[in-house]
Amino acid sequence: MKKCVFLLLSLAFLSFVIHESKFTVPVNFPKPIYDFSRNTLTEDKILLGRTLFYDPILSKSNTISCESCHSPFSSFTHVDHSLSHGIHDSIGIRNSPALFNLAWQKSFMWDGSVNNLDMQALAPISHPAEMGSSLNEVVSKLNASTKYRKLFFGAYQDSLATGERTLKAISQFLLTLVSANSKYDQMIRKELNFTEQEKRGYLLFRKNCSSCHKEPMFTNNSFENNGLPVDIKLKDIGRIKITANPSDSLKFKVPSLRNIEYTYPYMHDGRFKKLSEVLNHYTNGIQNSKTLSNKLKHGVVLSSDQKADIIKFLLTLSDKEFVFNKNNQFPS
Amino acid sequence: MLCLLFLIDASGQVGEVVKISFRTVYGNKAIILNDSSYMHEIDNLIKFESLKFYISNINFYQNESITYSEKYSFHLIDISDTSSQIILLNLPNGLDFDKIRFNLGIDSTTNVAGAMGGDLDPTKGMYWTWKSGYINFKMEGSCSQCPSSNRDFELHLGGYQYPFYALQQIELETHTKRNLNLCLDMKKFFSKIDLKKQKSIMSPSREAVSISDQLAKCFRIE
Repeated sequence: MKKCVFLLLSLAFLSFVIHESKFTVPVNFPKPIYDFSRNTLTEDKILLGRTLFYDPILSKSNTISCESCHSPFSSFTHVDHSLSHGIHDSIGIRNSPALFNLAWQKSFMWDGSVNNLDMQALAPISHPAEMGSSLNEVVSKLNASTKYRKLFFGAYQDSLATGERTLKAISQFLLTLVSANSKYDQMIRKELNFTEQEKRGYLLFRKNCSSCHKEPMFTNNSFENNGLPVDIKLKDIGRIKITANPSDSLKFKVPSLRNIEYTYPYMHDGRFKKLSEVLNHYTNGIQNSKTLSNKLKHGVVLSSDQKADIIKFLLTLSDKEFVFNKNNQFPS
Repeated sequence: MLCLLFLIDASGQVGEVVKISFRTVYGNKAIILNDSSYMHEIDNLIKFESLKFYISNINFYQNESITYSEKYSFHLIDISDTSSQIILLNLPNGLDFDKIRFNLGIDSTTNVAGAMGGDLDPTKGMYWTWKSGYINFKMEGSCSQCPSSNRDFELHLGGYQYPFYALQQIELETHTKRNLNLCLDMKKFFSKIDLKKQKSIMSPSREAVSISDQLAKCFRIE
């Protein structure tokens, strides 16, 4: 009996260590939202997920991978393209979001249509303008591949690919994409100081932007109408399509501003190429409507010097180490 | 320790198997997929191309108190797969029950819990891809007098969030029966809905909730 207890305790300790080494909560971050107890991270599952992420096998025509729209070098988004691209040169209706710190996200997609990270990949795999396939088709391709049967065996001690295993492995890799070593984080950890201009920008940011772009994640995980006029061609009305609730009309998810230097263009439809255009929108471009965010009802007033200061602060959110981390790149 | 193992093992062995079978009928005819001979109205024949639904959270009662609760109780009943239409439960020996309760669909907690396996695996075609959530009940088919050219009815009923929470609890008296033959009568269902108006539902809505409620009333014990 004693031996059993000892064995159990040491196993518990071991799993704690394994868990910790794969995923550490940065000191200045809150508790993650993702339930790791349902999908404990392991080296082999992360490798399987990483391999899947970079493999066009997920698309019908074997041409588009997750990376096609989520490149590690741009903090896992698609720079220079305002809207996402898919199979047969099709173009989607929204700007691909950057991927990092996903364990702290409550919902996914610009309209919050996805309720759990595990289920996220289903949407691009099935969307006709993205990968144009289905989870069933992907799972049969994986089961027909010797390479994947080995990877599944390594991860699950069983070579059979299932929908659940495929989705959970992708989650595992995505969960390891933690970005927490920007100049801002180093300043918070008192490892360095901001310049005078960055300090001014930080104060202005806290006064004007941080109620939605809340520190330290730089989002409050909510949905807001930030006063963008509706694009005449896209006619995207946002979250109301998901909830059918009129109060959600024109609302989109508040994105994190971390790594914003790498993730241009900006907004759900990628309409702004530069940060200065974004700030000009908040000072001069807000369109009033019933669902406009309360925080923007009285407008935002900033001089051009103040805008320059805020931009300098936003650049402190760049995490170079994350963007160039070899562990996040194409598996060799 | 050994003693404990023995007890667990023993309780697993000693139980009594109770079989729940599902049958889908149209009046007095069993439903066979792609057979277009189910009469909806005169000159309007119905054909079913696909019919599947989730049964979950099975509980047995005796005098209003719970006597047995199935653990991890999720079952996809698919008319195209006869083995899916039988649920075997291992009840403790001599257990009495006079009522069974179960859900038609998947509860909200399970809907937000991430990827699941077995009957809940998203490859089963019962999970929406454009918006998270299980499809509780899926029925596709056609009718000879309906106007559209392709599929005439396509009901994908689901939704786990208020005000469009489509899950239905079904309660049936079992009397003294041990094996239970459950029957879903689609003729009863089609007599309650207007096929011309409600032929295509593909997302959570008020309509999906009210149709799910109608469906729940079409189950009976034979």
